[in-house]
Amino acid sequence: MRVKFFTVLMLAIAMMAAACGKSDAALTTAVNDKLKADGVTGVTVAVKDGVATLTGEVADQAAKAKAETSAKAVEGIKSVTNSLTLKPLPVATPAASDQGLTGKANENLKKAGCGTASVTVVNGKATLTGEVPAAKFAECVRTVQEAGITGFDNQLKKGA
Amino acid sequence: MSVQEKYQSLLELANANGTTYELAEGDGGTLVVTGTAPSAEAKQALWDEYERLDPDFRAGDLILNISTGDAAGGGMHTHTVESGDSLSKIAKEYGIQWKAIWDHNRDILKDPDKIYPGQELKIPM
Repeated sequence: MRVKFFTVLMLAIAMMAAACGKSDAALTTAVNDKLKADGVTGVTVAVKDGVATLTGEVADQAAKAKAETSAKAVEGIKSVTNSLTLKPLPVATPAASDQGLTGKANENLKKAGCGTASVTVVNGKATLTGEVPAAKFAECVRTVQEAGITGFDNQLKKGA
Repeated sequence: MSVQEKYQSLLELANANGTTYELAEGDGGTLVVTGTAPSAEAKQALWDEYERLDPDFRAGDLILNISTGDAAGGGMHTHTVESGDSLSKIAKEYGIQWKAIWDHNRDILKDPDKIYPGQELKIPM
């Protein structure tokens, strides 16, 4: 009986030690190191009771998600509060005049064998109309998007 | 969900397969992704992911303009001459002067009035 009590006591102590784990300061350093190793920059880390809060501005959504994944991977971090914001995007500029883009996009369509579709570009926004075989559909969309447009209205019909 | 969240997996794929890209905001919040993929396969993988997220490309919230690096750069576009084309007609299509096409294609054209179907003209954009 006495031995059993001692075992339980030791187990309890071991569990408490594991729960306390590293200090918040040590965890902050560990998260910072991990972010640096994963190539994530522009992130400020604060750890309280094992919960990491990430603040700062990152380039895009992929970088935001990556920072969270990296922080979560650090041993001792219970959860991550991702308060990162995304850098505002610059306004897209069309690659050429509407007329130039219309000509280019239609030529792209012809070259891709999408001659039954046609495009009109107004203020950089392309409206794609017509009908193409289902097998060509994605390719026709792709070739229009590669003309340098800044808006897209897809009214292209998928034929048999 | 923001447009970037919707296409997060596509951006992650680009990062993973070595595609460099820049983001911009186009018409009505459209996400414009312009970049260069290291290979045709990498580019195809991005398009496959785009198609998975928006099967018929109807949302109009993403423009994926990825080149493979080996495409002719310098703002040049190639126009394949068709029967009935003339330099002035082609120039009108692109909103430029016929002389601009002439100047860029002296190497393959002898006479601005004589172009033939199948010829590939460089179009300055």
